[in-house]
Amino acid sequence: MDYCKEVISDEEKEILQEIMNIAFGQAAADLADVINIFVVLSVPYIEMLNAQDLPEYLKSQVCSYDRISIVEQNFWGDFKGSAFLVFQGNAGRELVSLFGEDSGEFSLESIDALEKETLMEVGNILIGACVGKLSELLGDLVTYSPPRVVIENTPNDAIPANVFESNSSAIVLKTVFNFNERDVNGFLFLVTSHDSILWLKKSLADFMEQYE
Amino acid sequence: MLKKILLVDDSPISRRMMKSCIPKDRGYEIYEAGDGLAGFEAYKANQPDVTFMDLTMPVMDGSESTARIREFDPKAVVVVCTADIQIKSITNVLDLGALMVMKKPPSKETVEDALSKAAAVIG
Repeated sequence: MDYCKEVISDEEKEILQEIMNIAFGQAAADLADVINIFVVLSVPYIEMLNAQDLPEYLKSQVCSYDRISIVEQNFWGDFKGSAFLVFQGNAGRELVSLFGEDSGEFSLESIDALEKETLMEVGNILIGACVGKLSELLGDLVTYSPPRVVIENTPNDAIPANVFESNSSAIVLKTVFNFNERDVNGFLFLVTSHDSILWLKKSLADFMEQYE
Repeated sequence: MLKKILLVDDSPISRRMMKSCIPKDRGYEIYEAGDGLAGFEAYKANQPDVTFMDLTMPVMDGSESTARIREFDPKAVVVVCTADIQIKSITNVLDLGALMVMKKPPSKETVEDALSKAAAVIG
């Protein structure tokens, strides 16, 4: 059974994909303005899942990673959900140097703190710009929870067990990226809950109306 | 005078958005391709006056397609229409010979501006 087709049509999925593409492009440009980095973008893709399958899905995406860093941020508006910015390996420590910090002069504890702060800052920029642009294009305004950073040596432990209530649907928007000339790559998931789907379908139609 | 327009974008929705922004009363012939390689082939087959090119695409990206088109025809007019608005991406495609870069999503105004600039180059 194609669960996705039951909730959003192929055309709605394509519109959402294009809007996600525009939104993440904006986020990458915002990050490139702040730090000297070039973000290599890829074509985003959309999946519709039952919410109870989400933790397993997210785990399956990161199971090959030895170490994982996740920046998690929730957002509320008509467009409501959670963003997970997932980095592989020691991305946080790579990113620290991009912010001009010399981590060699710090203790291990302060390096860990600096790594978390850096990930939080990068997460704030990428998630805020991406979700902000996406909601702007769809005529919404969202507010955000403070970002939360989780760094784990066992990826499975970093994935929250209950993202949304089971027996509801969730849309996963996934964009893979890597930072050129740096050993930093990962992906951004936006997971929006069942509550947003009716609003989303109407907003996608409204967005396309200007192009009829 | 512009007669033929090629749209290269992997997203059918994005091509539809672009087409809707192109004035319908001028009788343009519009060709479409879904990736950079198909775009290059479509350019060779149809010799459009202006090509609107996306950057992030499977098979062959828009930068390489632009480079190939400009190598094949140094007078080719390529307008990059992209969500990737990082300075490095923009300067890269301008260095490859793109006429200009348009930020997605397109609008009737930005497309009209691009068509005017393309017409001025063609003469």
